[in-house]
Amino acid sequence: MKLAHQRPMFDIAMLGVPLVFLVLICAVPVVYTVVMSFQSVDMFTIMSLRRPFVGLHNYMALFARPGARHIFLNTALFTILSVSAQLVLGFALALFFNRRFPGAATLRGVFLAGWIMPGLVVGGIWKWIFAGDNGVLNAVLAGLHLTRSHPFWLSDPALSLYAVIVANIWLGIPFNMILLSVGLAAVPADVYEAAKMDGAGPVRTFLFITLPMMRATIAAVASLGVIFTLQQYDLISGLTEGGPSNSSNVAQYWSWQLSFQVYEIGQGSALAVLMLAFTAAVAGFYVWSTRQEQAA
Amino acid sequence: MILPSVRRRRIDGGIGLVLAAIYLFPLYWMYATALKSPAEIFRNPPTFWPHTLHITFGRVFVEHAMAHYLWNSALIAAGTTVLTVLLGTGAAYVLARHRNRWVDAALFLVLLLQALPPSLLVTPIFVAFNQLGLLATPRFAVVLAQTGKMVPLFIVLCRASFAQVPRELEDAARMDGASRPMAFLLIMVPLARNGILVSAILVFLQSMGEYVYSRSLISSDALQTASVGLRGFLGTNTTDWGGIMSYSAIFVTPILIVFALLQTRIIGGLTAGALK
Repeated sequence: MKLAHQRPMFDIAMLGVPLVFLVLICAVPVVYTVVMSFQSVDMFTIMSLRRPFVGLHNYMALFARPGARHIFLNTALFTILSVSAQLVLGFALALFFNRRFPGAATLRGVFLAGWIMPGLVVGGIWKWIFAGDNGVLNAVLAGLHLTRSHPFWLSDPALSLYAVIVANIWLGIPFNMILLSVGLAAVPADVYEAAKMDGAGPVRTFLFITLPMMRATIAAVASLGVIFTLQQYDLISGLTEGGPSNSSNVAQYWSWQLSFQVYEIGQGSALAVLMLAFTAAVAGFYVWSTRQEQAA
Repeated sequence: MILPSVRRRRIDGGIGLVLAAIYLFPLYWMYATALKSPAEIFRNPPTFWPHTLHITFGRVFVEHAMAHYLWNSALIAAGTTVLTVLLGTGAAYVLARHRNRWVDAALFLVLLLQALPPSLLVTPIFVAFNQLGLLATPRFAVVLAQTGKMVPLFIVLCRASFAQVPRELEDAARMDGASRPMAFLLIMVPLARNGILVSAILVFLQSMGEYVYSRSLISSDALQTASVGLRGFLGTNTTDWGGIMSYSAIFVTPILIVFALLQTRIIGGLTAGALK
């Protein structure tokens, strides 16, 4: 302890340089986004540093855009359905692979192959699976006599958002499963033995021991799930590009479209500010819940 | 009672295998489609394994100029990895070594920055880089932006490896007269090298598939990456699914091989880093 404190300059430099870099490349853009969200920024003013301030005009114009309500609703659905399904399926798989059998750890690790793949490739593969005419999903559903018609998952406005959600759930399952496995492994075995002695069945054990003891882990994993889901851009670009007519569009993709496709950079920034504020709140909750876990 | 438990384990193993197979079906479907002939791809109902092999990897690679796309991806991934390791290693060490209010604040900042979606940061980065003239070297611009995304992940993963090195080893080196930088470089870094290496490879693999920064910051097709190249191939009215799946297979196979070789270490690093 004493030695380490003799030269704090070394530690300050080692931590300071990367922090300055991160602030320049991440925090400054956040501030810059806030500034641009109050300015009139388009193709012509992008190079100049002097841009007219327009107050809350960008925010009002954003909410007045056709489809704004729809896209916010989509974002909420996309996030809530994705995160809850990832949690439930990830938890079920974690519980299953927690049973001791040969190859359990290896099989569990194989799931992460989905997580390591480039998002755009995953989008491309799912686009082919969802294809209306020759897609394998429709063939399987027809084979199981579940549908008679061939739904066009990606070009039907009533279905496209759910198709994107299914692909996103697939992407998020491995991460949820691995992190929840760690939480499960941390529950002391003697607690389970005591429950068994008292005659508790598997359902009661799960409800009254596993779930309460994993509360902090579940909170951490759920907030990470929200963070990753709100980062999802590649998958949407690969699958539907938010279409048809915004039916599968979500805020993080729309913000990019506003800035880079219709050059309404001021409005794109206003949307980004709202999303960044929400993300920061979730990240704060994540850090808080990991703290809780360490204290426990 | 021994026999039923052996049987139960076998049944569990079988169920586990089936679950993994269901999960990995999209991956299998990519390879199966890539190997089918165009006629077989559009057969209805689809065949679940290729009846006649039709290998077009060479044609797709040449026709879609994958050599230059992959080269650009590798260049950007390598640049990002080098810069991330240089910036992140020392920070991970300091954050693992001390525990006080300042360290907590720095760690909170790092985690917060990791949570920011790149698709929302890319607009101000584009405008700022444009004003600074950095878009004249667009691949370098992507390296800078991607490093900003990867440094927090690298710090979080490496911190766990540094935390495992006993503090006494560093103190002993200091007693022997080593300066702090010397003790860090000659004792701490070598002892944490496995964690650093695995985290660096993970950063490289993640950066190979980088998409939103490349798409937004690079305008010249000659400097563009493999993800953006695939986006162009995917188009809206495409029917060449065999070609697209071949492109995808060429792109992801090396990534999957590296991942398979390092699987257990990567999982160990992820689980240690994300929840502590």
